[in-house]
Amino acid sequence: MLFKVQSIANSGMEALGVDIEVSVSSRGLPGFDIVGLPDKAVQESKERVRAAIGNSKIEFPQRKITVNLAPADIPKEGSLYDLPIAVGIMASVLQYEIPKDSLFLGELSLDGTLRHTKGAVLMALFAKEQGFCNVFVPAESANEAAIVQGVNVYGIENLEQIASFLLGNQKIKKVAYSAPLLTGAADAEFDMAEVLGQETAKRAIEIAAAGGHNILMIGSPGSGKTMLARALAGILPKLNEEESLEVTKLYSIAGNIPPRGSLITARPFRAPHHSVSLIGLIGGGQKPQPGEVSLAHRGVLFLDEFNEFPRSVLESLRQPVEDGMLTIARSRQRVTYPCRFMLVASCNPCPCGYLTHPKKACVCTPREVKKYKKRASGPLLDRIDLHIEVPEVDIQEFQDNQKASLSKESSFAMRERIEKVRKMQEVRFAGEPIHANAEMKNSHIKKYSLLSKEAEQILSRAALLYQLSARSFMKMIKIARTIADLAGAEHIEKSHMAEALQYRPKAYEFD
Amino acid sequence: MLTEEKNVVKKENSRYPSLLGDISDAPKQLYYKGTWNLELFDTCLAVVGTRRMTSYGKRMTEDIVSKVARAGITIVSGFMYGIDAVAHKAAVSAGGKTIAVMPCGIDIVHPEYQADLYQEILDTGGLVLSEYEGTHPPANWTFPRRNRIVAGLSQATLVVEAGEGSGALITANLAKKYGRKVFAVPNPLTSAVSQGVTQLLREGATVVGGAEDILQYYGLRDRVPKLSLGAPKLSLGTGVQDELEQNIVEQLEKQSLHVDELARRLEVLPAKLGAAISMLQLEGYIKEEQGRYYVN
Repeated sequence: MLFKVQSIANSGMEALGVDIEVSVSSRGLPGFDIVGLPDKAVQESKERVRAAIGNSKIEFPQRKITVNLAPADIPKEGSLYDLPIAVGIMASVLQYEIPKDSLFLGELSLDGTLRHTKGAVLMALFAKEQGFCNVFVPAESANEAAIVQGVNVYGIENLEQIASFLLGNQKIKKVAYSAPLLTGAADAEFDMAEVLGQETAKRAIEIAAAGGHNILMIGSPGSGKTMLARALAGILPKLNEEESLEVTKLYSIAGNIPPRGSLITARPFRAPHHSVSLIGLIGGGQKPQPGEVSLAHRGVLFLDEFNEFPRSVLESLRQPVEDGMLTIARSRQRVTYPCRFMLVASCNPCPCGYLTHPKKACVCTPREVKKYKKRASGPLLDRIDLHIEVPEVDIQEFQDNQKASLSKESSFAMRERIEKVRKMQEVRFAGEPIHANAEMKNSHIKKYSLLSKEAEQILSRAALLYQLSARSFMKMIKIARTIADLAGAEHIEKSHMAEALQYRPKAYEFD
Repeated sequence: MLTEEKNVVKKENSRYPSLLGDISDAPKQLYYKGTWNLELFDTCLAVVGTRRMTSYGKRMTEDIVSKVARAGITIVSGFMYGIDAVAHKAAVSAGGKTIAVMPCGIDIVHPEYQADLYQEILDTGGLVLSEYEGTHPPANWTFPRRNRIVAGLSQATLVVEAGEGSGALITANLAKKYGRKVFAVPNPLTSAVSQGVTQLLREGATVVGGAEDILQYYGLRDRVPKLSLGAPKLSLGTGVQDELEQNIVEQLEKQSLHVDELARRLEVLPAKLGAAISMLQLEGYIKEEQGRYYVN
């Protein structure tokens, strides 16, 4: 007897149909084999399936069972084939019809219940694309799959339930399609209003968030760099539906969606520790998994203590920062993950941290400072649009004078403004493959960033005075574009360009 | 080697600087790089200070040294990073002459990352001196020994910034011992590198209010026009039309400020302020150093 159950395999962001052929033969010695390039987790599913069926009060057939995962030359990975294999084997005992237009996915527990399994969204999306009507997933993963419209999603609790459903004895309620509720940014740890002082830094962060620019914050320990970065999470614009789905898909592949979790509605904010490995940051592994850069897709990648990251890890960021996507090539396969993130980096001005501190003396030699700065290369720093200094805040000043802080705007108010500016950008770049000012290439800059004559004069003068590189020159225009957008101006005026110059990279050494 | 033999001046030699010869423990010989020109030693000012200078110290050094060097006084210092290096640099860029006294053998540059400055000193007709030959490495004891040459070569020693136990204090005390004048630039007492200077002032060093005080001592008062220290030469209305820009300059004339402090004082949002500051910077009215703004 041969039974066929359908499921998927994923290769990066792409899904691929997999047929699980279960042959239950009365000839030959009883046994259970899985073929078709299964990995360890798939091999082990034999034991899980055997125990789960037994514990579900269904007889496990004492026959020769061969499971083939077709196409046989693509490596299969993970525990998602437990359910389809079990459905196939049970069919030989219970004699039910396996629905043709359905996909199955799920990991079994030994007692027959189904566990949360990664990849449910990916399968639902694949089902919709390929015209499958039903997807059967663990109940805990059902919310995740239900964000895809036009596919019947069944959340399965355990093997008994699916068996009696397939026998027609019991109905399972479809999980209703839930339109993604885009709540916008995550609840940030801090509100912008809580950050005392730091008027310039706040302004720079607003510009960065509005145009999707990368930003580097330099300041002595305790000056509030991390707090500012955390508060930044609260002013990011909402994800749109397309973006949300992209992010959810990535998280589903990485297994980062919690049980009963659904669509990712907030922009990701990833803050890997500086001990992160190259693979951890970029992605990879035998079966290439998305790394932190991809998990930060459409969100923020925050690298605190930027200069403490191993240089090789930092330099690997160059291409992803530029391209917004990343191809991980391994001998067996190559996959491409998107990684369009906003890089937020923070570092100290020198190893001891107090080079720019108004009161504490720095104990570093110029050579140490130079070496410290060299840890991040010029090409990488050149890809960061805004460079700001975060000064030490005199708490006393704010305790004495409640009115001392100039900008007490809440994150909410800032976000409203930023969202408006992002909308403007969406309209502007409607026919282009880019979304935000920061992504503009030179051709876009020429087309969309018209400088007034005065602005142009200022820029060329600054280029001479500060010896701006060609890339920095273009960066200034990009920043000025966002500043003009925030001001609601169509063209870049003098004042916008002048302000943009404040965020150029500055030298902090003693010459 | 032959060239090495050439680049050494013994104490008995008539080319040996007489002022240095006066001190009791004058070095037996001086190795040198550059062109030995006795005129260089006529009027010398030693400028010394901490390695951990603040931006205040840097500004004061640059300001005083450039004016003094322009008046033809040779600036002598120890080629260390910090105040020493700034003094050499300021002298070179002011078109003046400078002498670097090394704490190591004449054939090595210490610290080696200042090789550019080393070359500049030589290119502008300055001298590099050492009492040690060849590649003698710098050691703990060579630094204070070096200081006696710095003090010995100069009629006066100027201390810009010095912390407690700073090497600059050794130089100043040697200068006193040799009967030379000691000048000190007043420092804010909150600064970590002010204690040494304060101590010197307490012991009778002369307060320096600007380059004129030093020039007066050298009798060069007339050779330079009266220059005021860092005072803005801003005639309002010529370049600075904007009211905000005027206010910024007025604030910065009083003291250097971080842009956030400026924003709070003037109650102007950073967006607007940033633009105004950029304009002032481009016009050359103000400049920024380590995040703080100064009137140029």
